[in-house]
Amino acid sequence: MANIMWLQGGACSGNTMSFLNAEEPSACDLVTDFGMNVLWHPSLGMELGDNLQQMLKDCVSGAIKLDIFVFEGSVVNAPNGTGEWNRFAGRPMKDWVRELSDAADFVVAIGDCATWGGIPATAPNPSESQGLQFLKRDHGGFLGKDFKSKAGLPVINIPGCPAHPDWVTQILVGIATGRAGDLALDEFQRPKTFFQSFTQTGCTRNMHFAYKVSATEFGQRKGCLFYDLGCRGPMTHSPCNRILWNRVSSKTRAGMPCLGCTEPEFPFFDLAPGTVFKTQTVMGVPKDLPAGVDKKGYIKLTGAAKAAMPAWAEQDIFVV
Amino acid sequence: MSNADDDALRDRIGRLMENGLETQTEPFPENNLEFEAILDELRKLGPEDLEQKLVISGFVNKPYGEDEQRCLECMYYLVHRKWCDLPELAVPVEADWWCRLWRI
Repeated sequence: MANIMWLQGGACSGNTMSFLNAEEPSACDLVTDFGMNVLWHPSLGMELGDNLQQMLKDCVSGAIKLDIFVFEGSVVNAPNGTGEWNRFAGRPMKDWVRELSDAADFVVAIGDCATWGGIPATAPNPSESQGLQFLKRDHGGFLGKDFKSKAGLPVINIPGCPAHPDWVTQILVGIATGRAGDLALDEFQRPKTFFQSFTQTGCTRNMHFAYKVSATEFGQRKGCLFYDLGCRGPMTHSPCNRILWNRVSSKTRAGMPCLGCTEPEFPFFDLAPGTVFKTQTVMGVPKDLPAGVDKKGYIKLTGAAKAAMPAWAEQDIFVV
Repeated sequence: MSNADDDALRDRIGRLMENGLETQTEPFPENNLEFEAILDELRKLGPEDLEQKLVISGFVNKPYGEDEQRCLECMYYLVHRKWCDLPELAVPVEADWWCRLWRI
């Protein structure tokens, strides 16, 4: 039996909603089939008031063994580093986060806000938000870059806005069943099993990407969303087109550009007007090129791809 | 629009440029805001205002600049239809033409 405590800081509950929609395994399966004991969760927890406060204290003291501490949402430090803008169970949430992180065998950050600060940490960051171990790309965050949980691992980051339920449940199952040692993490402490490939991997528009045919409107079935509509699929590490959403689709499959929400910089360009859903260019060339591609190579490839383009690439091949 | 209509309109655009239609090839939009500003100008035009469309978007009937940029490499160009698929333009073009809304 693995004890899990799930708390929420500066957040919209999106990751909780996503988690509760998990199917394979479901949130209930975690309890009934995988031996997880959810001590408390913002939407599921039974304890209130003094009882909850006592439970938290018992986790900190070790009276209740805390196997996994899950945090959703940013760590709010405002005003002036006090954390008073986000109080929970009688004190600033950030104080609970610090003590529970020190007490837990494993610490898991769910969603962009908990991993890198996310939308709350967008400039000018009035809530003084941080992720648990990162602030955007800067290693450190609230717990500091040297933090390791009792099991010897740094914070396990499962980013996304929200994170896919399978990413959450599969990592929790892996930890709870004693296979945390199999987890390989990337430079941003994301499990490589999910975040080594790109959002573009498995995208149904890859043929249009290859032949440089652009979608020019949302919802269009033909064309690639990278060239004009700001899709970040070729630069974003996520399995969104391998592990489908609701088992059937993804943003790009539905004609909606990837926003790059599993990357530390999300939301990109601090949401400046004109930057969302529009590919940013410098002298006609995308500012952010597909990962590993340089400008010269990109221009050469474009010429070759266009010259070789078959006629069908310009047509809607997804006919009813 | 049929292929014949496309061809006729492409010829007409070609003749306009051959006959010296002066278009605004500069400034090239360096970033998205400048690009959007040109699109905004185009959106204000009536559907029949072809000449002004060509002028604002800076059409020329040959490759442009040191890099010899041309429609062929532009992401809005549909090779087989010989068509500019940018909704604000939506005109038949030749592969060797260029305009300042060129993007790859």
